[in-house]
Amino acid sequence: MKEIALKIGQPTALTAIVNTPKQLDPDKPAVLILNSGIMHHVGSCRLSVKIARQLAKSNILSLRFDFSGIGDSENRSGTQSFHETSIAEITEAMDYLEKKRGIKKFIVFGLCSGADASYDIALVDQRVIAMVQIDPYCYRTWKWYIRHYGPKLLSLETWLHSLSVRLKKQDKPLGFSESVDINNLETASYVREFPERNEIASGLKALVNRNICMYSIITGGQSEIINHNSQFKESFSDVDFGNLLTVEYYPKMDHIITNPEYQRIVIDSICTWINRVISNN
Amino acid sequence: MNPFFFGHSNHPLYGVYHPPSALPHKKEAILLCPPFGQEYMRSHRAYRQLTLLLNKKGFPVLRFDYRGTGDSFGELEDTTVNDWLEDITIAVEELKQTAQVDNISIVGLRLGGLLASAASADLQINRLVLWDTLASGKDYQEDLNQEIAKFPNSLGKFIDQNGTLHFNGFALSKNQLQDLSKFDLYKKPPRANQIIQISSSENPAEQKMKLDWAGKNNFSYQLTPAPGDWNFVDDFGGILLPHEIIQEIVRLFDNQGQDAK
Repeated sequence: MKEIALKIGQPTALTAIVNTPKQLDPDKPAVLILNSGIMHHVGSCRLSVKIARQLAKSNILSLRFDFSGIGDSENRSGTQSFHETSIAEITEAMDYLEKKRGIKKFIVFGLCSGADASYDIALVDQRVIAMVQIDPYCYRTWKWYIRHYGPKLLSLETWLHSLSVRLKKQDKPLGFSESVDINNLETASYVREFPERNEIASGLKALVNRNICMYSIITGGQSEIINHNSQFKESFSDVDFGNLLTVEYYPKMDHIITNPEYQRIVIDSICTWINRVISNN
Repeated sequence: MNPFFFGHSNHPLYGVYHPPSALPHKKEAILLCPPFGQEYMRSHRAYRQLTLLLNKKGFPVLRFDYRGTGDSFGELEDTTVNDWLEDITIAVEELKQTAQVDNISIVGLRLGGLLASAASADLQINRLVLWDTLASGKDYQEDLNQEIAKFPNSLGKFIDQNGTLHFNGFALSKNQLQDLSKFDLYKKPPRANQIIQISSSENPAEQKMKLDWAGKNNFSYQLTPAPGDWNFVDDFGGILLPHEIIQEIVRLFDNQGQDAK
């Protein structure tokens, strides 16, 4: 395994780290590891580094990089949205690996906003053959409401708490707590907003038509949206995923995966899944 | 900005060298020693901002990751605290060569300040800026233990059966904790031409350090209340940048530290 720090793309270079295995096979897809929110390319709890190094043991090349303005990549001027710049910058990363290493197929991986960017690039770039998403777009179903509100509706404590919260809310002004000076707040360049479900369902159908393999890991950190194992597929019941989609739901895992055992599970699962996709490709 | 790997080929360290972006180029280079764990993740942007402002004043700067952390080589559990001290020494040498200067100063935040202080015994450091630095390894462990006690059922904050302390996704082994507990700035102050303690709030440990060191000619203390808490992340991924304290550190360097009281 060899790790090299790189600067790629124009006009302002993006900082990237390419992890090249001992035996590089350019016919094998490479894995692109994307930023999660404002976290730099190390990834949540060093997840990106650990995945890259484990993939290298299976002779899979990976590249982790920072989008412009995040981590070690400088800002790029312009008025484009994160949605637009992220697609352009992932494309630059793929172009680089295609030109320099001859790699023509890619698997994209991301958590949260990285999951969204994975979906966005998979939609528009034919070189993407698979994507791994942690906490991707998902939508509530009637079963979510039953599971969420059902137990609470039967609880007297919940009713009393709800009443107490409502009374308190009337006195509390909206906004940040007094300890937070909003003049010093630097908001993330990407504020996560879920598109309309039908838009995502339509996009997923397009990915299915291109035989894109999808691996979705759902954490308990999205419990306000998803609260049971079958919900992801049910929320897209109009999409016939066939055997292209694998979903795993971990209700006790938090969004940034702080528990060491879950970190191991996620790293192993992702690397195993990617190896399987590559061997079937 | 130049990202690169440096140091020993068996355990390379990741760093980003930022050459000065304005004239005149200073003959003093600055090494930034990061804190640990989520504090490292959350302060990354503040460190980058600090770097860019120092560059604009003509200072070359090196940011880097300790072994077993960030992009540097190795697994955290295989790394010792002595490795981290050695890494600081390696980074100092790298910065001297890259920036072509012999005059090195260090900024250390939280655990980074404590490690830089411990490493300073074997280094020639001009100015050592201790930003919200822990007074001792025991203080650090107590801080973490108190946080862990607040969340008894947490899967992300706990001490396992081997004595490894898990805190928000990062772990410190029993050995690492024992090694850190030997560091105590009260008993063994850092060695540098100038020591500047800069605090964003008045906490008892830093106050004690300030009083203990008040008589030293080479020591100064600066309280800069920073409403931009570098360790803050909101629910939407927004972060607070401690602009005041970043500007204060830049001013300290730019004014040769004469204004620190």
